[in-house]
Amino acid sequence: MTETAADTTRTGGVVPTALEAAVTTTDHLRIGRAWLASGALLLVASLVAGLLVSVERMDLTGMAVFGDVDSLFRFWSAYRVGLVLLVVVPVFVGLATAVVPLQVGASSIVFPRAAALGFWVWALGAAFTVAGFVIDGGLGTPGAVSRTDALALTLLGLLMVIGGICCATVCILTTIVAGRTAGMNLSRVPLFAWSVLVAGSIWLVTLPVLAANTVLIYVDLTGRSAVAFGVEDTIWGQLSWAFSHPQVYAFALPLVGIAGDIVPVAARRRHGNHRALLVLTALIGVLSFGAYAQAAFDIGTPIREQAIFVVEAFLIVPLVLLVLVGLVDVLRRGVGSRRTRMPAPLYLSVLSVLFLLDGTVLGALRAVAPLDLLDRSTTGAQFTFTIGAALLAAMAGTLWWGDLIVGRVVPQGFGLASALAVAVGIVLIAVPDTISGFMGLADFTGGDLVGAGNPGSGVDVLNTVALVGSAHLLVGALGWLVTGVLRLRGARSLADPWGGHTLEWSTSPVEVTSESPLLDATVEAGA
Amino acid sequence: MSSTTFSPAVPNRPRTLVIGSALATSGVLMFFGGLFALYFSRRADAMAWGTEWFPEGAIRLPPGGMNMATMALSAITMAWAVYSVINNDRIHSYLAMAITAVMGVAMLNQTVFYFNDIALPIDHSEATTFLFVIVGAHMAMVLVGVFWLGLLLLRALGGQDTSRNRDLVSAAALYWYAAVAVYMVIWLGIYIAK
Repeated sequence: MTETAADTTRTGGVVPTALEAAVTTTDHLRIGRAWLASGALLLVASLVAGLLVSVERMDLTGMAVFGDVDSLFRFWSAYRVGLVLLVVVPVFVGLATAVVPLQVGASSIVFPRAAALGFWVWALGAAFTVAGFVIDGGLGTPGAVSRTDALALTLLGLLMVIGGICCATVCILTTIVAGRTAGMNLSRVPLFAWSVLVAGSIWLVTLPVLAANTVLIYVDLTGRSAVAFGVEDTIWGQLSWAFSHPQVYAFALPLVGIAGDIVPVAARRRHGNHRALLVLTALIGVLSFGAYAQAAFDIGTPIREQAIFVVEAFLIVPLVLLVLVGLVDVLRRGVGSRRTRMPAPLYLSVLSVLFLLDGTVLGALRAVAPLDLLDRSTTGAQFTFTIGAALLAAMAGTLWWGDLIVGRVVPQGFGLASALAVAVGIVLIAVPDTISGFMGLADFTGGDLVGAGNPGSGVDVLNTVALVGSAHLLVGALGWLVTGVLRLRGARSLADPWGGHTLEWSTSPVEVTSESPLLDATVEAGA
Repeated sequence: MSSTTFSPAVPNRPRTLVIGSALATSGVLMFFGGLFALYFSRRADAMAWGTEWFPEGAIRLPPGGMNMATMALSAITMAWAVYSVINNDRIHSYLAMAITAVMGVAMLNQTVFYFNDIALPIDHSEATTFLFVIVGAHMAMVLVGVFWLGLLLLRALGGQDTSRNRDLVSAAALYWYAAVAVYMVIWLGIYIAK
């Protein structure tokens, strides 16, 4: 690792400790690593919550794990909020913070101090959110038995999480829009940077709406008596739009870019039509705008039965299918022409697009009113496929760009095994939940068989399979965490291990900790 | 013998501050967009059922109108500040930024006085909760703008706001215009339509 002369001058020759460097850094690679590490840790925590819920679902009559339905609901909602806002989005933000500036030829991320601020605000907010869920807060319960101060803490944490993500997103988007190297117009940016530009734009126009919901709830909750929004058993209903169709697609969208960057390099063939993939990604992004689909504020015809919701649900399916066809075409041409060894991230990234397609198909089925799937466990299955796809792509992305981000190598086999465990887990959860949904199982099962809509036979077996899937997911996540630790101890990486053609591979993996402060246009030269 | 070290070349980035500010402002606008969408949908629902939205006489037009006029004038002075900075007119840029900031403070002062005057409790109804959240969030937005203008004034006094280095002023202006636009919706949707 080298430092530029300017850094040595600024610190007066005093080398900061590892902790000082981690806390005060404005280097985009370090900030990216911090997002990735935090996301991986919170993934394990979220999956533990999911596993406990799956165990409870095995026998709803006894409530052996949680004791009451309110605690069950708290962990059930924590699992969804955690996977989206504490895991998938932060991991994508981390990957983008580290990789996107290199992909567009920028010397660093634009507004590095704001990027660091974004991470720390998110991290503090994530701690508050987790604490709120653990100390009987969360986002409301059916029985309205939560502690008000703990609820307020969760909401405050959620606001900080949204603020941190938005702050980091602004830095990444500005880097793509204004920090590109000369000659790289927007139609030439690599697909990952493009997908982050599209997804980040959607996050930036939808997450503030979620923040508006949260502020309304917070103000009403902490007033003298809640009159509407802060009434506890209505809170989840007001926020749930952000964790279901179509908004979940926006959170998973960078996976299209990850697959789009990995496949042509691995297959040694360029995309047949790069611009078509850019357009498809943008269209998927537009269709994933979900801030309008707030069922809690329905007036007249429910929003989820209106044409815009149904048409959006169906339109997105062929778009994702076209992306998959485009990737398979590149693979076919590449593999057919020569015998090349396919790297692990290739399989995972293509699999992630396939899972996204499954999620969109389920989303379309949910929009068919006669099937009556909107509040069934199919909702959970769609969430699992979509967010699971994003998780798989994030694992592929860390295996692909990990050498660049950390500067060290890791055996691909262990990473591949971990990701495959996650993939098996996704299938084992989502497929039984889909079938259970058709059999009438509710999305949130509640604490008894009547509330669960459980018709009896069959669903119990499917719940057992889903439990095995949850265990698989957790094992895979732990494997991913171990992969990251192993990478820290690995040998120094090559400059371009994959023979990539995008700009990030033209830089040396030796880290240059160039601190580029926001407002210091000039740095004093030492004498 | 001393050695000379050189900092990395400053990258030539086109108007990053303006673009970053535009992106952040779009997020802020969506925050208010979400609030307004919920406000108007709940209000329409209440009207359809014939239920009272705000208590009779609670929302008065003159304070809202005064605030709107103040904000509209501040948009003009903000444009004056940008124009002055572009033309390296330091005296007028001090003046324009200071007047804009004072107008922002005046608007905050009027709003606080008005809300103390009507003494409407926040938990009176759904409508009052909306009112306090929307107006309170806008006050926070204006407060940020006033602090930003204060920073710009300090930089202007140090001679840093020049035509070659005007992005921070342009970015602040963009944010300020957004604050004026948000207040326009508040004025129309809350003070006039009630």
